[in-house]
Amino acid sequence: MKHYDAIIIGTGAAGGIVACVLAEAGKQVLLLERGPALSFTDVGRDHLRNQRLSLYGHNAGPELEGNPRVFVDPEGRARLVRPHELDYHNNAACVGGGTRVYGAQAWRFCPDDFRMASKYGVPKGSSLADWPLSYEELEPFYDRAEWELGVAGDGQAIQDQVPRRRGYPLPPVSPSPQTAALKRGAQKLGWITSPVPLLINTVPYGGREACISCKYCVGFACPTDAKNGAHNTVIPRALTTGLCELLTGAVAERLEVDARGNVNGVSYFVQTNGRTEQRSARAKVVIVSAGAVESARLLLNSHSGHHPQGLGNEHDQVGRNLQGHLYPRAYGLMAERIFTGVGPGVTVATTQFNHGNDGVVGGGMLADDFIKPPIDFWYDSLPPDLPRWGLANKRFMRDNYTRVLHVRGPVQDIPNSEGRVTIDTAVRDHWGIPVARLSGTTHPATITAAEFMRERGVEWLRASGCDKIWSTRPELMLSGRQHQAGTCRMGHDAQVSVTDEWGRIHNHDNLFVVDGSLHVTNGGFNPVLTIMALAFRSAEHIAHAL
Amino acid sequence: MTDLQQQTLRAVVNRIIPPDDYPGAWDAGVGDYLTRQFEADLAPQLELYCAGLDAVEAESLTRFQSSFARLTIAEQDATLVHIEAGELLTSWPIPPARFFELLVNTTAEGYYSEPEQGGNRAAIAWAMTGFDEHVQS
Ligand SMILES: Cc1cc2nc3c(=O)[nH]c(=O)nc-3n(C[C@H](O)[C@H](O)[C@H](O)COP(=O)(O)OP(=O)(O)OC[C@H]3O[C@@H](n4cnc5c(N)ncnc54)[C@H](O)[C@@H]3O)c2cc1C
Repeated sequence: MKHYDAIIIGTGAAGGIVACVLAEAGKQVLLLERGPALSFTDVGRDHLRNQRLSLYGHNAGPELEGNPRVFVDPEGRARLVRPHELDYHNNAACVGGGTRVYGAQAWRFCPDDFRMASKYGVPKGSSLADWPLSYEELEPFYDRAEWELGVAGDGQAIQDQVPRRRGYPLPPVSPSPQTAALKRGAQKLGWITSPVPLLINTVPYGGREACISCKYCVGFACPTDAKNGAHNTVIPRALTTGLCELLTGAVAERLEVDARGNVNGVSYFVQTNGRTEQRSARAKVVIVSAGAVESARLLLNSHSGHHPQGLGNEHDQVGRNLQGHLYPRAYGLMAERIFTGVGPGVTVATTQFNHGNDGVVGGGMLADDFIKPPIDFWYDSLPPDLPRWGLANKRFMRDNYTRVLHVRGPVQDIPNSEGRVTIDTAVRDHWGIPVARLSGTTHPATITAAEFMRERGVEWLRASGCDKIWSTRPELMLSGRQHQAGTCRMGHDAQVSVTDEWGRIHNHDNLFVVDGSLHVTNGGFNPVLTIMALAFRSAEHIAHAL
Repeated sequence: MTDLQQQTLRAVVNRIIPPDDYPGAWDAGVGDYLTRQFEADLAPQLELYCAGLDAVEAESLTRFQSSFARLTIAEQDATLVHIEAGELLTSWPIPPARFFELLVNTTAEGYYSEPEQGGNRAAIAWAMTGFDEHVQS
């Protein structure tokens, strides 16, 4: 059996970075990915089956058959869900994970996001906590993620809120007519705005082309490879060393332990010549980066005589505090055309309300949106008082597709320990592995914050010149989905956390979690740049220890 | 699907997205989109569609003593409004609102998604909305 320095499970935002840092530090790495490497053509341009609108399927995995989960609704009714259904809380399953098809908004959290409990106190029934590290400690790694993967932006306007040592490597995306309208609106209200930072090459970078402004960022792959994800930056670097072995279609089943209960490898399934084969590999350290739901599942499924509740789960913490983002949004009608067909579409944001809102714990960012294909717009964006059919509906699509101004944004999730991932041993996937069971909801304080942000969205649109404005009220639900995080939270106290500040699982020397699972709280921003920064930080630590 | 069901389908989708100076649903290829989908994702719902279309026809005969496809536009719309609201003269073997919502949604899917799906011929809906004005005719 081959011995590695490290086995990494999952090639997403975090796994790819850790593979790169370790391999470049001269370590032998086995990188397991359950999905395939997807080409631009594989991902395709299907408007009904993509990672943004998944009516009948999706384009970045997992396969619809053989990968069920169990979802328990707020009333306590359990049902089987398939990967493209909303309640599955999917991200993606392919080389690059979510980064293969993400929108690529590249936000840093702000300093207060790392000390939510100290700043606000702990709302009753929530598990709000401070991070075991500060913004200042993470800042160098944000910088590194921005420069090594490539982020376009301009943070000057928000330097006080989100301090940075230097600018971005790439200039921000160009403004569009809606940018001007929204900036004017914000100015009237006295709100701060800034360009939306994106992991997109606005000019050539990293040996790859610039963005050609097509209309397909979220849920699709980039035709010029100008969208920077794990698959086209850090993973190729890892492979170039010759020290990283990437196995696709390789599904980690469980982590293995030796006679004393120490982790020493991974058992996984892989397809060879059309047949499924079960294999084991050994390593000095094992690094879990399967995404917040699957990382928790894998640890829980790795129970043994020494660890009857699963690995890292002595205190029943693995899988708890599942969080993501509610996404309040508002739509308004402009008199003039604002759509130019120039992608990505998202251009301007306000971070005025990330903190310091009366009666609200946290808050969030609001920005305009990525270009929506018409069918997406038809499902998502029409006024609720518009008939769903007939000439009035068609005329609205015809006259107003190019005139609807849309703002939306992620709201700081107030976590609670009942929003969680457990294992359902009665339901198995294609490989016979017990599946994830998702239950609970976010904390009601999240709804208060989301409603507050929805009202800000309405206010912004009104000040920007919209007369007719519509929006829907947020509802209490489990949050997770594409921004899933929190299921193996970091902390100093092993009773209420799963790992230390490096992602090392308490009471283990050589077992790490490095993905979104680590987030103690998920910020009022899209999470991926924070996942990347943490991954760089943990990876450096692991490389030194190895 | 029988010829009659097909005829009713055509008439109904043309009220869901009616023709004006841009084609209605049927001429834009929504029928082709649905035909493909009845053999794919919508196969499990084909029975629901067939039963629903029969029920539309029965409702029309009771209301106006005429086949749905031969009603005036105003009569067709009135019939569909009643179906959507569940205010029916005939007894339906399936939930009318659910059937109608499914039909409305899948008509829009065919009309507004990419032409490769079978509908939105020559990307006409993208020219209409302004999503993509370079229409290949
Ligand atoms: C359409 C879309 C748009 C998005 N837009 C944005 C955005 O604009 N900004 C932003 O910040 N975030 C965005 N996100 C979210 C972002 O992609 C995620 O936050 C990020 O990818 C999470 O990184 P991760 O490393 O935690 O997990 P992932 O990226 O999910 O990676 C986990 C990987 O592990 C693999 N895996 C799981 N289980 C196993 C197993 N048992 N064995 C082997 N491999 C396994 C998975 O297949 C996957 O590839 C978006 C996501 C999607 C899908």
